[in-house]
Amino acid sequence: MSQANVHSNGQLPPQPERATLEGRNKITGFWLFLGGETVLFGTLFGAYFTLRNQTLNGPTPQELFELPLIALATLILLTSSLFSVFAVQAMHRNDLGKTRMWLGLTVLLGLSFLALEIYEFVHYVSLGHKFHSSAFGSSFYALVGFHGAHVAFGIGWLTLIFLQLKRKGLTTVTAPKVYLASLYWHYVDVIWVFIFSLVYLLGKVAG
Amino acid sequence: MDQTNGQTAQNKIKRAPVHEGPRNHLITFALSLLLTFLAFMAAANQSLSTGFVIFLLVAMAFSQAIMQLAYWMHLKDKGHFYPRLFLTIGGIVAFLCFIAAIYWMWW
Repeated sequence: MSQANVHSNGQLPPQPERATLEGRNKITGFWLFLGGETVLFGTLFGAYFTLRNQTLNGPTPQELFELPLIALATLILLTSSLFSVFAVQAMHRNDLGKTRMWLGLTVLLGLSFLALEIYEFVHYVSLGHKFHSSAFGSSFYALVGFHGAHVAFGIGWLTLIFLQLKRKGLTTVTAPKVYLASLYWHYVDVIWVFIFSLVYLLGKVAG
Repeated sequence: MDQTNGQTAQNKIKRAPVHEGPRNHLITFALSLLLTFLAFMAAANQSLSTGFVIFLLVAMAFSQAIMQLAYWMHLKDKGHFYPRLFLTIGGIVAFLCFIAAIYWMWW
């Protein structure tokens, strides 16, 4: 075990997520994963833009999309991303209570976003826009649904870290986990920026 | 050797600047909100030409994404060569897939 693993005087190092080689490797490895995720979402966006006009007499993007709902979902996810920044900043101040509070609030907003998305999908299905009803339907649900699955996974991950922090506190082992989950959450928000701009708004303008 | 590396890392940490405040992150949040608001307004505005709105939407999406990557995900900070490299390569491959999918299908 290297010296950096030890907390001198019980104090957490200033950047605990980078205090150990393992922590630094995790962060670098996680960025490699995010590079792969970019390719994955790139292919899904490509499929959507290739097929979005193939509605097979079903509802078109212009008929389906409701901007107020999307604006609310965007505001929720953007704010949750800011809250996860606050969680990491609280962790850097070695403030366990605030770290857990911001993580908890991030999870709550993530759940709200997911609830809105589920409502949206149920509404679309009632209008005849289903996964198998057209190529537009398949590519839309594959892209937006896959993002929603990422949000759901992120909620589970953040919740587990929230619970683990209560048991183990902030250490050089738990700190990289908080940092990585926060990075993941920001990335999910960045993907949403492209989804609300290029799928919903562009679908409304040039559906 | 391991201990030496550990101590070097510890020294680096000691020299690291004191915790950054929330200022930059709040500015990023405010600018993201502004860009989002402008994007929605542009899409709702009937008087603008479709081509111009599409250009605006793409420009604002990339601006907001780059800003969040730089500040919230710390890509602007030192020691982020590999994260930047990985994401750039991923972005290039994603862009090629995107272009290839559209032109392969409809060319």
